Amino acid sequence: MLSGLNVKIEKGSYTAILGHNGCGKSTLAKLLCGILLPTEGNVSVAGMDTANEENAFEIRKRCGMVFQNPDNQLVASVVEEDIAFAPENLGLARDEIRRRVDEALATVDMSDYARHATHKLSGGQKQRIAIAGVLAMGPDCIIFDEATAMLDPTGRKEIVAAMKRLNKEMGMTVVTITHYMNEAVEADRIIVMNQGEIIADGTPEEIFSQVEVLHSVSLDVPQVTELMFLLEQDGFPLPRGILHAMDAADELEKFIGEQKNERA
Amino acid sequence: MLKDVTFGQYFPGNSLLHRTDPRIKIILLIEYLVLVLVAESLPAVALSLCFTAFLIAVSGVRFGILIKSVKPLIFVLAFTAVINLFFTKGESEPLLEWKFITVYSEGVRTAVTMLIRLLSMVLGSGILISFTTSPLELTDAIERLLKPLKAIKVPVHEFAMMMSIALRFIPTLIEETNKIISAQKARCADFESGNIIKRLKALVPILIPLFVSAIRRAEELADAMECRCYRGGEGRTKLKVMKTRPTDFVFLASVTLFTVAIFFVNMIEFSEVIAFCADIF
Repeated sequence: MLSGLNVKIEKGSYTAILGHNGCGKSTLAKLLCGILLPTEGNVSVAGMDTANEENAFEIRKRCGMVFQNPDNQLVASVVEEDIAFAPENLGLARDEIRRRVDEALATVDMSDYARHATHKLSGGQKQRIAIAGVLAMGPDCIIFDEATAMLDPTGRKEIVAAMKRLNKEMGMTVVTITHYMNEAVEADRIIVMNQGEIIADGTPEEIFSQVEVLHSVSLDVPQVTELMFLLEQDGFPLPRGILHAMDAADELEKFIGEQKNERA
Repeated sequence: MLKDVTFGQYFPGNSLLHRTDPRIKIILLIEYLVLVLVAESLPAVALSLCFTAFLIAVSGVRFGILIKSVKPLIFVLAFTAVINLFFTKGESEPLLEWKFITVYSEGVRTAVTMLIRLLSMVLGSGILISFTTSPLELTDAIERLLKPLKAIKVPVHEFAMMMSIALRFIPTLIEETNKIISAQKARCADFESGNIIKRLKALVPILIPLFVSAIRRAEELADAMECRCYRGGEGRTKLKVMKTRPTDFVFLASVTLFTVAIFFVNMIEFSEVIAFCADIF
């Protein structure tokens, strides 16, 4: 599936992996937390080789994963019992489990739902519970494997906000696998994959400056970036790699101002 | 289509039975089943009925729910009663003789006791276990009660885990089944007409997608569980610890006494009770 991959994800970074279906991004995620083992080469997490069976538990403890389908990762019928699953597996004392459950629930802003039935929650809420379930394990890194793909726009916003908070406020390493450009924009670094290979790697500005490259692997760019790109193609001297609507507005304002000055 | 299933449903509440230790409740259920099956003479059956009424009273489960839980079994109950009524041979004069049908007084009695027994069993197990115990509490209790079996290599933890996951996925799979039914209906599948074989055949396009998706779900869930450091029951702790309160033991003791009492009451025949009463007056 994957070939010629050489990636290093820094501690405390926020990385997005982009690519369309079947390009190997989920495989990469599963390799990262040791569910899949590489047939060639090696993957190491915090200096531990995933191929070594003895490290498996320690790696999983440090590297949590949130999956795509919220229904298929909730183990228990009641919210707090589900979140307690990971700390229970770690064999922690009851008080410590209680503390971690409450803390994780507060982090995802779901404290009021502790005693609710999991199947009655909305998609976004279920996914937040899944995040809390991973947080309760106390990982250094969380991988989101298309965690927003099955959610409605509101749910998606909630999850992206949670990811940002985990990274910026709690200093957690976040890796998000997605095909929503607007999510990738939030990251500090973007890795673009196609057919099992990395074709681009850099900051969002760098990546989205290469509109042709993204289009060649049938990926979109954010709407604003696309607009600026089309204007540039039509001969307007505008910069590339604009990601936010306000930046675009500023650039256009500047450009129009210059035009006026020239005429005057 | 699947809305009326009350089996395995939990109705949250705060009644005496809700607060009873689930382990005690399982033992109570066993005692209760023994009690119902043992009660044979009329006084004993009457006594066991009183006990069922007592359970209903302390469970705080609404009457409508009880009726709903018995509803799907009406056919089975009626069938058993009728068979017992017509096919029990008695020694006394038949009560009714018409063509090939003969009804003896023993037949009436067996039919009635059978009906009461079955009803009590359905209601009792519902009240004691499923309606008043959350699924997780229940599986936890089973795991703890069966713990001694670990010594002879029975996979108690795995069994309990499987059960709690199965219970967790019941609502999810019901929802999914309804979706599949709608999808197949949208493609003109017909589930309601034709004879029984035709209708059973119509279920195939529902069951196959359901199984496929259930297996896919299972695979994903296994990955998710591994990711959350699951490695079997070894070294696992629990968020909730079960506590048996003194009232639970009082409850248990009184039910045990009651069961023993039933054994003795069983020996008294109804006719003897009448004779006894006649003696007094």
